[in-house]
Amino acid sequence: MKLSSIGYLFKEGVKNIWNNRMMSLASVIVLVSCLVITGAAALISVNMSTLISKVGDDNQITVYLKRDLSDLDSVKLGSSFSRIKNIDSYRFHSRNDVLKEYQKTLGDNIYESMQGKGNPFGNEYKLRLKDLSAYNDTVEAIIKIEGVEKVSDRSDIAGKLTKLNYFVTLVGSWVVLILAIVTLFIISNTIKMTMYSRRFEISIMKSVGATNAFVRIPFIIEAMLIGLLSGLLASGAILAMYNPIRSAASGIIGMISGSTLTLEEIWLPTLLIMSGIGVLIGLVGSFISISRYLNKEGGSILGK
Amino acid sequence: MIHLENVSKVYPNGTEALKKLSLDIRPGEFVFVVGPSGAGKSTFLKLLIREEKASFGKLVVNGQDLMKMRKRKVPYLRRTMGIVFQDFRLIDKMTIYDNVAFAMRVIGTPEKAVKKRVKYVLKLVGLEGTEKRRPNELSGGEQQRVSLARALVNNPELLIADEPTGNIDPERSHEIMKMLVEINKRGTTVIIVTHEHDLVKEFGGRVIRIADGEITHDAFLPSEYHPDTPKGTDDEDETKEETV
Repeated sequence: MKLSSIGYLFKEGVKNIWNNRMMSLASVIVLVSCLVITGAAALISVNMSTLISKVGDDNQITVYLKRDLSDLDSVKLGSSFSRIKNIDSYRFHSRNDVLKEYQKTLGDNIYESMQGKGNPFGNEYKLRLKDLSAYNDTVEAIIKIEGVEKVSDRSDIAGKLTKLNYFVTLVGSWVVLILAIVTLFIISNTIKMTMYSRRFEISIMKSVGATNAFVRIPFIIEAMLIGLLSGLLASGAILAMYNPIRSAASGIIGMISGSTLTLEEIWLPTLLIMSGIGVLIGLVGSFISISRYLNKEGGSILGK
Repeated sequence: MIHLENVSKVYPNGTEALKKLSLDIRPGEFVFVVGPSGAGKSTFLKLLIREEKASFGKLVVNGQDLMKMRKRKVPYLRRTMGIVFQDFRLIDKMTIYDNVAFAMRVIGTPEKAVKKRVKYVLKLVGLEGTEKRRPNELSGGEQQRVSLARALVNNPELLIADEPTGNIDPERSHEIMKMLVEINKRGTTVIIVTHEHDLVKEFGGRVIRIADGEITHDAFLPSEYHPDTPKGTDDEDETKEETV
């Protein structure tokens, strides 16, 4: 194919969008609607996972040390935590720090009387785990450490969060998958309709000696541009709605505001992924649909 | 130019549209293909432009063996011929200029040459000044002239017209036929499929009659426009019937 032809075919692709503006508009509307629904479902799923994961991160466990363990031995014990792989971080709380946490509850007089040897608390460690699903194994390993009295039992919360995370990921993936299939089905029908309305044009092109590539390229460029435009519009719509919906959701569930993804975090990936998917749908959809007509000749293209 | 030897076409449903057709069409001939509906005329044309592939026999068009031709080579065969359809087959969304220029752009002609040639061809068919108009703004006769201009724009050796006057009034039909004669005089081989016997009688030339998939008549019919057989042909000897 000559270079002048490539320029011509690209221009034709762009021109075709305007020449077939009603069909282009219909395709953009269908594509934008499908991308917005699928994209929104994907964002909700990602946000739910992030939310659960952050709630899990905040869920620290407390390791109570034996009261007779000296302060020096208590600090030394900290190195044992670094040998347990599932422990993300640990922080030492001396018995005085613990007592201070209760100062307000106890009142100044009682607090003062508990200073020194009267302190009923032992030293503690606050731990964060990497993977909540391995909670039980990790606690078992901690208990075995010499000097540990007990561990705060959060196994019920850990289990619930793990299950919820799994559920949200599973349901989210299925919803996105089903919506993606429905989207492909609708888009494939839209492209088929577009091609059907243009079959006459295709038959004329072939009758004057156009090669399959010459017929195909403007259609593919047209479909890719429609896909790109739809992707951009869909991301624009999602991003415009994101913050208002996030704020509204925060009003209902307080923790959402700090635990979900911010607009700054999502705008670029959303824009790139949605535009990429739009272009890909245009490319694959038009390539497959037009092949059906390119394999036919003359009257059979027109269904005669 | 065109050589058919025992060419048959059998469709998948078993219909035998053409039965062992043998004929030669030489460069510069003006040929009418006539016959009743369903006789096999359209199939004959479809074989020439390789819209259909013959089932048996030998078929050579413009030096290319169509029985051995690969599908991807078909566009290059079509570029050696111009085709005019009964329903004009113009793209409504394109201007008249673009409809004609399209056939040149398909073969990668530089835009400068396209501009020059399209202008010339539109003038040749009497449509200068209509470049920016759309097909639906023109009459049937004018649309057929655009179709003719598109068929001629690449200066083909062979022009095939399928019922070119089928959708236009008698006066315009006459004009189109005169143009086809003029094109033939410039050296292009012209094959016209028609069922309009009056036009055949008036314009004459070689007349091939197909009925029930077979050639039942092949003779030269002299007329005001074609008083003599073209040089190098011996159509008189091929007469199978006396009447058209």
